[in-house]
Amino acid sequence: MARSVWKGPFVDGYLLKKADASRESGRNEVIRTWSRRSTILPQFVGLTFGVYNGHKFIPVQVNEQMVGHKFGEFSPTRTFFGHEADKKARRR
Amino acid sequence: MTEQRDLSPSNPAAEPPARICVAAVAGAHGVKGLVRLKPFTEVPEDCVAYGPLSSADGSRTYAVKLMGQVKAMLLARMEGVTDRNQAEALRGTRLYVDRAALPEPEADDEFYHADLIGLSAMLQDGTVLGRVQAVYDFGAGDTLELTGTADGNTLLVPFTQAIVPKVDIANGRLIVDPPKGLLDIADPNSKDQDGGSET
Repeated sequence: MARSVWKGPFVDGYLLKKADASRESGRNEVIRTWSRRSTILPQFVGLTFGVYNGHKFIPVQVNEQMVGHKFGEFSPTRTFFGHEADKKARRR
Repeated sequence: MTEQRDLSPSNPAAEPPARICVAAVAGAHGVKGLVRLKPFTEVPEDCVAYGPLSSADGSRTYAVKLMGQVKAMLLARMEGVTDRNQAEALRGTRLYVDRAALPEPEADDEFYHADLIGLSAMLQDGTVLGRVQAVYDFGAGDTLELTGTADGNTLLVPFTQAIVPKVDIANGRLIVDPPKGLLDIADPNSKDQDGGSET
């Protein structure tokens, strides 16, 4: 068995506590976190996190496809903003 | 890229752009008047799919035909450009199409970035939050960046049905229903539910 499998995903303990508290309270609130290294767990689905990128908190609404990825992947520290031209935004 | 617009909160009516920049001339290619185009559209070849392109001031219109591709650039022949000198003279020219030339989005919940930028964002009670400055997608879905907020910071708002329940492009506004903590997300003094401690 690969080491990464038996060891399990890494999540900072305090973030887990915050997410559990938020989920149990049923309040829809943004959880600010600096823990970009934490893995997104299935129990985070539906919660909204503000993930720090060294400059500001990027709101990340967690969905099923994000499970297994790290929070930092959704909060880039360097960005090329690009051109909008004919680009479209989809409201989920 | 749209035309330069005044998106400041003091401008009550930030009109949607009449024209949208879809490409820019990056330089000449060869000696027969071909130009290298830098496309700004989602699908690069679409930059010539919306009809003739015009210059920034609208004084010149070009029929453009794609001839090939070089790395990330498109090779194109522009009507009336027949030699390298003419092609070189166009370097840096931004090319625009009319906003009306773009097809309407297929889905109800799809919007052109150009239409969203400039909308006034307000709470359900009518309080103005700011104005949409940009639309980003960092991998977690589209996000609106609002400027002109009360505290002077920019505000990022997830573009979801729950948080942005209403988009009214005709009246130049959208309604934001923020979850708790979103409006003061940038405030270093705002406490997290565990008292702000991260350690």
